[in-house]
Amino acid sequence: MTEAILFMLGIGGVCGILLSFASKIFYVYEDPRVSLVESNMAGANCGGCGYAGCSAAAQAVVKGEALPSVCIVSGAEGAAKVAAVMGMDPGTAESRQAYSMCDGGVRAANKYHYLGVTSCGAMALVFGGQRDCHVGCLGLGDCVKACNFGALTMGKEGFPVVDENKCVGCGACNKACPKDIIEVKSMSDKLLKFNQINDPLAPCSQTCPAEIDIPQYISHIKNGDYLAAVQTIRMRNPLLLSCGRVCPHPCENDCRRGIADEPVSINQLKRFAADYEMNSGSRVPIKCAPDTGKKVAIIGGGPAGLSCAYFLRRVGHQVTIFESMPELGGMLRYGIPEYRLPKKVLEWEIEGITKLGIETHTNVRFGTDFGLGSLVAAGYDAVFIGIGAWKDHALGIPGDDLKGCFNGIKFLSTVSALVSSGISKGDTSIREKMKLGKRAAVIGGGNTAVDCARTMLRLGLEKVYMVYRRTRKEMPANEVEIVASEHEGIEFVFLAAPSRVVGNENGEVTHLEYLRMELGEPDASGRRRPVPVKGSETLLAVDTIVTAIGQAPDASFKEETSRRISELTLTRWSTIDNNPATLQSSIPYIFTAGDAATGPALVVDAIGGGRRAARSIDLFLKGKKVEPVKDSLQKKRIPESVFKTISGVQPIKRAVMPELPVNRRLDSFVEVDLVLPEDEALKEADRCLKCCRICYNPDKKSA
Amino acid sequence: MGDYIVLAISCILINNILLAQFLGNCPFLGTSKKMETATGMAMAVVFVIVLAGIITWVTELYLLKPLDIEFLRTLSFILIVASLVQFVEMFLKKSIPALYTGLGIFLPLITTNCAVLGVCLINIKEEYSFLEMLVSSFSYSVGYGLALVLFAGIRERIILARVPKPLQDTSIGLVTAGMIAICFFAFKGMV
Amino acid sequence: MAQSVVKEFTKGLWAEIPPFRLVLGLCPILAVTKSVENAIGMGLASAFVFVFSNLLVSMLRNIIPSKVRIAGYIIIIATFVTVVELVMQAYTYPLFLKLGIFIPLIVVNCIALGRAEAFACKNPPLASVADGLGMGVGYTLSLCVVGALRESLGNGTLFGHQVFGPDFQPFAFMLEAPGAFVCLGLVLCIMNLVGKK
Repeated sequence: MTEAILFMLGIGGVCGILLSFASKIFYVYEDPRVSLVESNMAGANCGGCGYAGCSAAAQAVVKGEALPSVCIVSGAEGAAKVAAVMGMDPGTAESRQAYSMCDGGVRAANKYHYLGVTSCGAMALVFGGQRDCHVGCLGLGDCVKACNFGALTMGKEGFPVVDENKCVGCGACNKACPKDIIEVKSMSDKLLKFNQINDPLAPCSQTCPAEIDIPQYISHIKNGDYLAAVQTIRMRNPLLLSCGRVCPHPCENDCRRGIADEPVSINQLKRFAADYEMNSGSRVPIKCAPDTGKKVAIIGGGPAGLSCAYFLRRVGHQVTIFESMPELGGMLRYGIPEYRLPKKVLEWEIEGITKLGIETHTNVRFGTDFGLGSLVAAGYDAVFIGIGAWKDHALGIPGDDLKGCFNGIKFLSTVSALVSSGISKGDTSIREKMKLGKRAAVIGGGNTAVDCARTMLRLGLEKVYMVYRRTRKEMPANEVEIVASEHEGIEFVFLAAPSRVVGNENGEVTHLEYLRMELGEPDASGRRRPVPVKGSETLLAVDTIVTAIGQAPDASFKEETSRRISELTLTRWSTIDNNPATLQSSIPYIFTAGDAATGPALVVDAIGGGRRAARSIDLFLKGKKVEPVKDSLQKKRIPESVFKTISGVQPIKRAVMPELPVNRRLDSFVEVDLVLPEDEALKEADRCLKCCRICYNPDKKSA
Repeated sequence: MGDYIVLAISCILINNILLAQFLGNCPFLGTSKKMETATGMAMAVVFVIVLAGIITWVTELYLLKPLDIEFLRTLSFILIVASLVQFVEMFLKKSIPALYTGLGIFLPLITTNCAVLGVCLINIKEEYSFLEMLVSSFSYSVGYGLALVLFAGIRERIILARVPKPLQDTSIGLVTAGMIAICFFAFKGMV
Repeated sequence: MAQSVVKEFTKGLWAEIPPFRLVLGLCPILAVTKSVENAIGMGLASAFVFVFSNLLVSMLRNIIPSKVRIAGYIIIIATFVTVVELVMQAYTYPLFLKLGIFIPLIVVNCIALGRAEAFACKNPPLASVADGLGMGVGYTLSLCVVGALRESLGNGTLFGHQVFGPDFQPFAFMLEAPGAFVCLGLVLCIMNLVGKK
């Protein structure tokens, strides 16, 4: 008896001592949550979960690979505790739901029946699983079979349809799907999803800098569900009213229909849906995820800042916008003239965003009224800088400081501020206030230059010239804008390089002297380089000169004498240096997008950038590694989706944008471009080939 | 020498610990869904069974027997196996991280794998000599690994078939295991 | 109170009956179900261990430090297994021989450890005993069902008595190892058919 007791004590003691020493000697750091999670599991190491033991399962949970309910022994109670350890309090956590990325269409009826194999998994394994496109759904319904809750059904088109009320987000369907078509995601995941190389994406969605699911919203419009279209657009772009008006729609250049016919008028459809919501008098409700308790400061209330703020707010962070101008909107408000984007429309749009619970401070300038130090002290966990590019390049010729010389952005923003302060409705009082003359020359060929020229016509100037170094073909401004300004009677002086501003004895501008140019060899950008013709100096009689030859970010905030901000590096174009894939700057908690990071670019680029930054900020705030999107499609195309020819398309004329007649335009700032009427919009939506919504079927004639 | 070979064949094929002796079935069904997991588990099992076999054999011969307290066998063996597994896990994690990522995560699963304790008990029951004990431990565990890997290979292919809903998962797994057991059953006539 | 105890007991009989609903403790159900007699013996031995280990774990639940709790549970379970082993050796020696190493192997039956960790360490003794008893009885039932199937089909007998008459050709496959797997798989399938809403 004594031996037995001594033996057990001895063996127990030896084991205990050995193990406690071993645990000290062989200590390896491990995420503390792993052991916490593990302590809430059964500890039976039964392997019933499919993982190799409880600690492997715990590690999988902490890595996010397994759900808190992974343990089959500890049951619901254990799952709740694990969820609590992981900070996914079941009560407030954002619920996840399955959704199918590919929802098919006509072609879906062609199911595969290879040798009687009727499951997607087998199809993928044996035949590589291809329908018409190699990314799409196979439609054999493994996911439907896998769902334990009856939340998935095969839709009449042969693609899975999720019943949101029944789906619990368990992820069984996702595991069953061999092609990752069906995914289980929270709203936040969906909002911060970026195009990846293996996604089923139509060419337009690949091109759109904001990555809007274009075929989806067009299909909603076609079905008459305009508000659903609005919601689809809002998943990617919160500024749809503005974009619907000012976006130069690069998506339309890549529209597959454009190969055989004219491209679908995508942007007008966006505007149609957006205007429909605004005119309906009520807003589609926007959901936000539960609060995370993290605070983000957004510096700059322009498109990039608004987009970033909107997405961060929707995924549950607290957001504050700091704006140096009296009102939010940035270039949308101060750089784009009233006749292209009415202030009332913009206000309605911005109000919709700030109403989500975003705090705003206007008339505060970064670097002057507050600095990085004060933001950190106020408890902001991350900072987004989207201050845009507001500093005009100077002309740099003699006399460019005479009375009557203006800079493009400064000019537009002054006019905008005067217009929105309600001083006048485009009559001559603004002209007098700004001391403009009668004849003006705008130097430059970009959108800003065209905007300046068209604005001046509306301010009552008699003659407006546009002076550009190259020819019309090389003008970077949107084609529509150039055409409109031609209609409105702006005179173009091409192949002209200003060399001197001539003034009178009062220091007022009287003439612009320019050199005639001829086109030489193409330069790096592929445009032919203009070469001056010797002795060709010509005088143009003008009393007002507006220079719009490009902008750069105003980096004066760097003058703030603090150690913190000095670590922020700039490029030599004075844009903020960042990692182009994550938009993280040289200071880890500062992110940047929009013109401030890229130099002058499109509004829609800034919106896409704002969302990309929001994704990185979200990762940063959640303590995860700020990594680029895997297999990102940023500015790239899926090679298989680039078609050279397309057959079976019967040409149907593209909808023509209704415009205000020229004679009614020039005496006011009334919006020029009008919205499509409903029947036209429906007709236009029907022109969409539904690329990647149906697997494009060339033998079908109706198209 | 010949005896050892016969012993090995008997342990690996004829008396396969999984399919004929029914030991270690829970992890067998749990870790055989993927080939990768199955191979990892198989290696870990071989490693632990051989180590545990040696230690328990020594304990039995030099402690339990002389003290005449064999009734404490179950108690002491399970304690030893559990401690051993934990020790090996910690050791691998610190010293040979590469091996740990391959095997280590499977180690905790082995504590409650009845194949380990089962082999130790069989070794004692059959009164094997040290060398026999080594051969039997190694062969039993190799047999376990063999069955596990074979089964995982089949299970990965089961998705090709349309399995009726009530038969899915564990149920079809058991029936499949039965089929493999028939194959192993055929070795009965060998020795 | 009484109601919840009854609930803890009955859930082991159907809602969470091992090893069908909780896929744990498969080895004995394959190994010792050649006859109903073995099955009952094994089932009762396991039930004894479940009940008493649950009881002790529950009583000691506030004393055992959580870091070494698993080791503690194993020792508690092993102790009761040893008790069962000795009792069976003394009173039911033939059965003890038939069950062989599967009696000591109750130690590593996941059900025992799983219930200790998932239930007994958080609940008062009475509920834990009810849980252990429910699991034990449920387990015994499962063993009996499989045992009865295998014995009657494989040997034509139940508890050693002929059941199908003298003309019955025994289906010996059921008694062999492969038969055990297939039989359990089919019983599971039937359980799924019956149990799925």
